[in-house]
Amino acid sequence: MGNITLWDAELNKEYTVESILLENNVSRRLEALGINEGTPVTVLTRKRSGALIAKIRGTRLALGRHITSNIEIKEVKR
Amino acid sequence: MREHPNGFHVAFVGNPNCGKTTLFNAITGSRLKVANWPGVTVEKKEGSVEFEDEKLILIDTPGIYSLSTYTIEEKVTRKCILDDDIEVIVNVVDASSLERNLYLTLQLLELGKPIVMALNMMDVVEERGMEIDLHRLPEMLCDIPIVPVSAIKKRGLDILLHAIIHHKDAVTLGDVFSYSDDLEEKISKLEVIMAAKYPNHSSARWHAIKFLEDDEEVYEEHPVDVSGIVDKSYSRQIIQSKYSYIDDIIKECLFNKSAKEAKTDKIDSILTHPVFGVPCFLFIMALVFFLTFLLGDFIKGFLETFLEWLQQIVSTGLENVHVALWLRGLIVDGIIAGVGGILTFLPNIVILFIALAVLEDSGYMARVAYVMDGIMGKLGLSGKAFLPMILGFGCTVPAVMATRALETDKDRRRTMLITPFMSCSARLPIYVLFSGLFFGKFAPLVSFMMYVLGICVALLTAFIANLFDKKKNKNNLLIELPEYKRPNLRSIRIYVWNKVKDYLTKAGTTIFIASIIVWFVLNVGSRGFVLEPSESFAASVAKFIAPILKPCGLDMWEIVVALIAGVSAKEVVVSSFTVLFSNALEGANLLESIKAVYPAFTGANALSLMVFCLLYTPCLATLATIKKESASLKFTAFSIVFQIAVAFSMSALVYNLARLLF
Repeated sequence: MGNITLWDAELNKEYTVESILLENNVSRRLEALGINEGTPVTVLTRKRSGALIAKIRGTRLALGRHITSNIEIKEVKR
Repeated sequence: MREHPNGFHVAFVGNPNCGKTTLFNAITGSRLKVANWPGVTVEKKEGSVEFEDEKLILIDTPGIYSLSTYTIEEKVTRKCILDDDIEVIVNVVDASSLERNLYLTLQLLELGKPIVMALNMMDVVEERGMEIDLHRLPEMLCDIPIVPVSAIKKRGLDILLHAIIHHKDAVTLGDVFSYSDDLEEKISKLEVIMAAKYPNHSSARWHAIKFLEDDEEVYEEHPVDVSGIVDKSYSRQIIQSKYSYIDDIIKECLFNKSAKEAKTDKIDSILTHPVFGVPCFLFIMALVFFLTFLLGDFIKGFLETFLEWLQQIVSTGLENVHVALWLRGLIVDGIIAGVGGILTFLPNIVILFIALAVLEDSGYMARVAYVMDGIMGKLGLSGKAFLPMILGFGCTVPAVMATRALETDKDRRRTMLITPFMSCSARLPIYVLFSGLFFGKFAPLVSFMMYVLGICVALLTAFIANLFDKKKNKNNLLIELPEYKRPNLRSIRIYVWNKVKDYLTKAGTTIFIASIIVWFVLNVGSRGFVLEPSESFAASVAKFIAPILKPCGLDMWEIVVALIAGVSAKEVVVSSFTVLFSNALEGANLLESIKAVYPAFTGANALSLMVFCLLYTPCLATLATIKKESASLKFTAFSIVFQIAVAFSMSALVYNLARLLF
C-alpha cells in the first residue's frame, strides 16, 4: 500500500509529516511555517473541494488541495 | 558610534497577525488600521516617540514568517530589516503561538543586529493557563532582553522602550545554536569570503546561511563566488535544525501546553462547516448590507428632518438680521443643503464600516478565504483572493493594495481587475439616492441587489479570464486562521473613524471642488456666462456623447456630465445630480425636477444608471493605485476600457429587461 497524504487524513486523528513533495518555493514556505519531517499534524475539518484546516504547532492553517495531496503523512501509533 | 540627530531607527518585525501594528499604535499614538487576520499591514509605516531624552523612529512592517520572501509585502519587510539604518530590531512575538514565532526569531538572531523581543499577548497565555519560563528563554536566545507586553491593554510599553534604548549598542554575542559540523564548516568558509569582499558588512553569518539556502536575493545583492562550497541547497537541513532547536526551547520554557482553545473550534465547526460554511457567509454578508440600508435609511430619515428644520431656523434667523438675499441663499441652499446632503449618507456609511470592522476584527475574515476557496478555485483563483474583494466593499484603494499578499503576479492582476466591481462605499450614496427616489419601500432590496450584481460580475470576469488561461493555477491556498476573539472596541473605533474622516475630507475637498467645477462648466458657454445650462460648454460636449448611451436609457446630457464628473469620486455623481437639476423647478425635490425635464425617466432608467455607476471606471484614486500596484500603464488602460465596456453592456441589458417588467 502506498503512502497516505494529508488529503486522505481522517479528521481529528494525529499524524506526523513524512515528506513534502512540492515545488521548491511552496515547500520552503511550508517548512518555514514549521511543517517538517516528523511534525505532528491533525486535520480539523475539510471540504469536498479538497481544502482543509489542519492544526500544526499550535496554529490552524487552511491548506489547498494541491498542497495537502502532496504532503505524505504517517499515523501515530499509540 | 553613529549620531542620532533625528532619532534612531527601530523596526517592529514579527509574524503576521502577532500585534505589531497594535503595539505600534499603543506606543506612538498612531491610528493605523488593525484587525484580526494575517496581512492587514502591507506597507511599512513610520512613527516616532520620545523616551528618556532619546528620540526613537519606530517602523511598523508587514508580517513575515521567515526572511525568505515570496510576496511583495514580505519583500518590503526584508528590505527594511537589511537596511543598515535600522539600529534595533524589536521582534514582536505572539506568546500564545511561541513555537511558530521563534523560527523568525532564530533567523533575526543570525543577523547579528541588536534585538529586543516584545512578548505580546501574554494575557492570552495566562488566560489559557500556559506558563513561559522568562529566565530560561533569554538564556537560550543569546541573552536578548525579553519584555512581556500586552499591546491591547498597553502593558509593559515603558519597559520595552527602556530596553530598546539600553540595548541599541549591544551586539549579540555568539551564535544562538550550531548546525551540524559539516554545515558550520561551510558557513565559516562563506563568512570569510563575505568579509573579504564586503568588509563593512554586519551580517556575514546570516548571509552565509542564506547562500547555503540557495536564496536568490542574496546572490543578487551580494554576488560572490561560492562554487565549491555551495554544491546544493541546504535549505531543508537548515530549517530542520532551527525547528529542532525550537523543540528544545519549547521543552524547557513552555509549560501546560494543553491549551483550552475549544471555543474557536466550536465556532469553526459551524462557520467552516463543509456544507453550511458558504450559506453562513452569505447570510453574514446579507446581514451586513441589510443593516446598512434598513437601519441606515432609518437614521437618515431623522437627519433629513433635522436638516430641513435647521435650514428653516437659519433662514428665519438670517432674515431677522437682514442678511442680503443672495448670501442667505448661499448659506441655506448652498452650504447647508450641499454639505448636509453629503452628511445624510453618513449613517449608512458608518454602519457599513462598523459591520466590516467587526467582521475583520473577530477573526472571521481569514475563514472567508477558506470557505470561498472552493468557488474561487473553479475561477482559477485562490480563496485568498477573496479577501481584497471583501475589502472592496469598504474602499477599492486599500483593496487593490491588499492584493500584495497574493503569491503570483497573474493572481494579483486578475484580482485587481475584478476588485473594482465590488461595490465600494462611495457608490452607496448613489444607490441610496436613486433607489429611494424610484423604488419606495423596495429601496433596500434594490440597493442590496446592486451589491449582488457587483459580486456576480466580478466572479464572472474571473471565470472568463480563467477560460482563456492555458496554464491553470494549482490550488495553493495557504493561510493561517487566527483564534476568534471579541472585537476590540478601540480597533473598531480607529477603523470607523479613519473611514469617516476620509469621507468627510472627501466631502470637503474632492466633492466640493468637483461641485464647483461642475457648476462652472455648466454656466460658461462660448460667449461667457450663459443663462441656460443647456447652452454651456459642458452641455454641448455631453450632448455629443449622450446618444451613445441610448441603449442604456441614459442618453441625457446631464447624466453624461454627472458620470464624467463621477470619475473624480463616485459620490460626485450624486452631488452633480443635485447641482444639475437644482434650478429646473423652484422648490421641488429632486424626483420632481428630474421628471420636469425628462418625463420619460422611470425606474428602469434609474436602475440602469445605478448599474452603470456600479461597474464603470472607478475613481481616479483607484486608477492611480492600480497603475502603481501593477506597474503597467497597459494593464491600467485595459482595465479602464474593460470596465466601461462591461458597464455599458450590463446597464443596457438591465435597462431593457427592466422595461419589459415595468
